[in-house]
Amino acid sequence: MLAELKELWRFRELLFTMVERELRIRYKNSFLGFFWSLMNPLITVLVMTVVFKNFLNNGTENLSAYMLAAYLPFLFFQACVLDSAQSILTALPMVKKIYFPREILPLAMILSNFVHLVLALLVFFAYLIFYVWLRHPQDFPIPATAALLPIVLLIHLALSTGMALIISALNTFYEDVKHIVTVVMYLLFFACPIMYFSENVAYSFKDSSWKYVLYHLNPIATLCTSYRKILLDPQPVISNNVRLDPLPLDWGLLGFAAFFSIGILFIGYAVFNKLKWRFVERP
Amino acid sequence: MSEFIVRVEDLRKSFLLSHSGAAGLKTAILWWRKRQIERLEVLKGISFDLHKGETIAIVGKNGAGKSTLLSLLARVYKPTGGTIDVRGRIAPLLELGAGFHPDLTGIENVTFNGVILGLTRKEVLARLPDIIAFSELEKHIDSPVRTYSSGMLARLGFAVAVHVDAEILLVDEVLAVGDNAFQEKCFERIAEFRSQGGSILFVSHNADDILRVADRCLWLQQGLIHADGDPKEIMARYESDEAAPKEAL
Repeated sequence: MLAELKELWRFRELLFTMVERELRIRYKNSFLGFFWSLMNPLITVLVMTVVFKNFLNNGTENLSAYMLAAYLPFLFFQACVLDSAQSILTALPMVKKIYFPREILPLAMILSNFVHLVLALLVFFAYLIFYVWLRHPQDFPIPATAALLPIVLLIHLALSTGMALIISALNTFYEDVKHIVTVVMYLLFFACPIMYFSENVAYSFKDSSWKYVLYHLNPIATLCTSYRKILLDPQPVISNNVRLDPLPLDWGLLGFAAFFSIGILFIGYAVFNKLKWRFVERP
Repeated sequence: MSEFIVRVEDLRKSFLLSHSGAAGLKTAILWWRKRQIERLEVLKGISFDLHKGETIAIVGKNGAGKSTLLSLLARVYKPTGGTIDVRGRIAPLLELGAGFHPDLTGIENVTFNGVILGLTRKEVLARLPDIIAFSELEKHIDSPVRTYSSGMLARLGFAVAVHVDAEILLVDEVLAVGDNAFQEKCFERIAEFRSQGGSILFVSHNADDILRVADRCLWLQQGLIHADGDPKEIMARYESDEAAPKEAL
């Protein structure tokens, strides 16, 4: 694995060029391009907020900010996995002609999506400052814990990279993988605290805490909650007139997620390296 | 002769052919017991040296293993057996413009292609004027390459490949592209490359090209080197061999 990393480092220039190329293709229509790709999460969150506030009796304050704080990172994971699933097949004509470390293809997808996530988070902060702070100047909406963001981002990046490497390698041989992943991503959206809160989960499992732990074996669920906890002030969750006190950030669960993610990263890289020479020879 | 720049020793490559075509998960799961796997030996032990400044032409019928050999040298495939010792930078000119993206401009694609062939971005930028001048595409270089004709694409691809300062060029079928005038320019550039000590390994069916540039000729037959030597002599034998079955008919 060390030799492979060395080789990747030798080709870093190609990786950066490819990331730049991805971003260029994505934002080809300059400034508007970026905002178009932000439209999807913004509208989804807007609709969810309207539905939950009005039809499902959710009285939590600033609900849309809390949803966005979990939904933007979730979308990053989804985009990483789905984009990189196709990355090798799309580039197969090139892969068959020229040598370069094949992991550059999924990695370029991940890094360009990561740049996109960082830009989206900047827009999120801008929203907090302009929309919340200007209306309530007495309290600044970004808490000090937001300084922990890089740690959570790194764990998230490791997990996404590991999964993307596994899925891109497998999808090159079995194109069904992409369809399975699409379905799993759809289910994952409901299995993560995006349109509800981890407090809701704890409340419904209050008699059997092992179920709460089981739920958080999914590291993306932990990550979604962690983004919320560090980017926004803790506040009570109010649904159906039940008031749930905010839970603190669970360092144990985050530690597990970190451990799990780094494990997936190593496994993913090992699987990818084992399969990468056979990409060109696929039947 | 001078020292070698590429040494190929007992090179073997075989592919697994699966008759059920296990491209789907379903077939893989349902037929994993019954699937027939056949081993297809494309190269059965090839050894030769490419020397500095030498140009070798590879001839042979379809399926003789010519393209597989070039792909192995380009490190696209991993050899099944044997070794390849390369002591210089290889630039594959296998299919011109393989990595071009239709929505990006000529310049953006040149940068990308140059980097993939092993240059840094700085080096590509330094060579950009030369590359553009060589391709004669000054007017179109800022337009997306989807607006290019295939001839223009080939010219741009060729221009990048000959400007990456490789020591070894791998060429599959396309030694010269474009119209007659541009082809002449390609040959001039190749002659210049050779006079500077560059080595070329090329696959071709064109006897004129081979006699014009090659110092040596390798004749591949069924994965083995059938003959190795002077291009004139080998091409004469190769062409009479090609013609022989037709005479028999």
